[in-house]
Amino acid sequence: MQVKRFFEKLIEGFLLISGSITSITILLIVIFLFKEASGLFTTPVVEEGYVLAFNKENPIKHLNAYQIKQIFDSEISNWNEVGGKDMPIEVVRLSDLTNYYTEEELGAEFEHIPAKASELTAKTPGIVLFLPKQYVAKKFDGILLDHETIRPGDFFGGKEWYPTSTPSAQFGLLPLILGTFWVSLGAILLALPFGLAVAVYLAEIASMRVRNVLKPLIELLAGIPSVVYGFFGLVVIVPFLQQTFGLPVGETALAGSIILAIMALPTIITVAEDSMRTVPRAMKEASLALGATHWQTIYKVIVPYAKSGIMSAAVLGIGRAIGETMAVLMVTGNAAVIPHTLLEPVRTIPATIAAELGEAPVGSGHYQALFALGAILFLITMIISISVELISKKKYAK
Amino acid sequence: MLTIDAKNVDFYYSEFHALKNINLEVEKNKVVALIGPSGCGKSTFLRLLNRMNDLIDGTRMTGSVLIEGKDIYAPGIRVDELRKEVGMVFQKPNPFPKSIFENVAYGLRVNGISDKNFIEERVVQSIKSAALWDEVKDKLNKSAFALSGGQQQRLCIARTLAISPKVVLMDEPASALDPISTAKIEELIYELKKDYTIMIVTHNMQQASRVSDKTAYFYLGEMIEYDDTIKIFTNPKELSTQNYITGRFG
Repeated sequence: MQVKRFFEKLIEGFLLISGSITSITILLIVIFLFKEASGLFTTPVVEEGYVLAFNKENPIKHLNAYQIKQIFDSEISNWNEVGGKDMPIEVVRLSDLTNYYTEEELGAEFEHIPAKASELTAKTPGIVLFLPKQYVAKKFDGILLDHETIRPGDFFGGKEWYPTSTPSAQFGLLPLILGTFWVSLGAILLALPFGLAVAVYLAEIASMRVRNVLKPLIELLAGIPSVVYGFFGLVVIVPFLQQTFGLPVGETALAGSIILAIMALPTIITVAEDSMRTVPRAMKEASLALGATHWQTIYKVIVPYAKSGIMSAAVLGIGRAIGETMAVLMVTGNAAVIPHTLLEPVRTIPATIAAELGEAPVGSGHYQALFALGAILFLITMIISISVELISKKKYAK
Repeated sequence: MLTIDAKNVDFYYSEFHALKNINLEVEKNKVVALIGPSGCGKSTFLRLLNRMNDLIDGTRMTGSVLIEGKDIYAPGIRVDELRKEVGMVFQKPNPFPKSIFENVAYGLRVNGISDKNFIEERVVQSIKSAALWDEVKDKLNKSAFALSGGQQQRLCIARTLAISPKVVLMDEPASALDPISTAKIEELIYELKKDYTIMIVTHNMQQASRVSDKTAYFYLGEMIEYDDTIKIFTNPKELSTQNYITGRFG
């Protein structure tokens, strides 16, 4: 008796430990994700190891990442465009110093560069000099922009994603989040009506024999590795879209949507069908006994009764679409530009992380930006599941 | 004309012979109770009358069932039309997860009635006929799940009455209810007899003797005896019936 009680306690303890370990692990992963992501906003806006230098007279104190990029791309050519005096901008990179000084003046080992850079900055009012930190003179005669960090606005409002551009990497979230949004929206618009139709058919209309064949087949779809879907998409769907719509390239958001729709179908069908089959027999019989036809019973009793299950089917489908990486990476073309139609290449958040994490140096701004993307993805899926929870709770409140 | 006229009915669940050569006639505005031990086929017979057994795979039926002279198993009969004539109340209250009003209006709406005034009138009238009006008149828009079990069952009766059936089938309508709710349902059955023909399956002998005009005793798929309730309970012809009603088995 004593021994039996001891074993029961032991098992209870074991269950408690497994429960807490799971929760703690999940929590640690989330904390790790957000810790790495928050590092992005302490990363200097200018490339690691470099500074931007201005003339002393220049009133400019702050430049954000996008402004720096535009200046160095010659899209901004006057200081008044970024809030300074009316004065043309003179962009000078390290290699441009030879335009101002001879090689002898810079020294055989470039030992005079710090002095010359300081001198050039002092005498050129409109200068912006992009200089490695090692060449900054001790008594530099000018303003250095070296404490400026990437701001949340640069990330959340940024329209460009060029993580390797110099002198200022562009970590704009918009193209990626819009890409994700377009692809997922397209996928769910395709998958939901079709998936629900199949679920209704399987749950209510199909004969036992048909169901016993179809259900395992559909569940088999869920077991196909996503890379195989991607391959199928690349070989079949992409050329098909290219020809049908006469596009320059077939790798588009629509291709991603179609692949994701196919991938989300088994989830949607299985969950929705299960929820429709759990509608109590008594409900169905009550409706039929009142003279309702089979169809009236389906759309007036079965579907409303299974609403929360159908909702979770939709959300699981969306979740699958938003989080899916490999297949999307293969068929969407991966151009990090803000899409305007479904027929343009896009790049989704998960695809970006998968494609770039291998190239980003650990701890760099790029690395942290990818973690920030992961955090955003996590938040999106969390918001979706919480809101659905609230909706389905409301439905069943008395 | 007989309201219900079952002739030589045999019924099978796949291999199982559930009903054996049943012949049963019911006149208009009578209450008939079906009694018998569990598994004797009484519920199966009841569900034949509105073709509810059609929903079960692998069932087979021979013989004929006439309702007001119409063979309900004839080809070309629309089952949903039949079920408007023959309403059914189930063992466990099964309201829809909708408001009280919508529960009663459901049968009207699925029959294509959209006249708001008519629906409202009919709903109120049905709830009154089901002796539920005083309890729910202030909360017609509340969920039907907020009602007690007995109220839910009367709501289900109201729902059935709303489509104006000729026959009301009741499958142990009070078995899941407390004695007070049961008494209310029984009173209600007595009232409803004026307008409807009622067939009720029950395990409760007293209930059968209280509410019914005629009683049929089923045993192992056969109808052993069918007679006036008073005769069945005071002077049954068959020994098996006597054993059952006196509680010697079953």
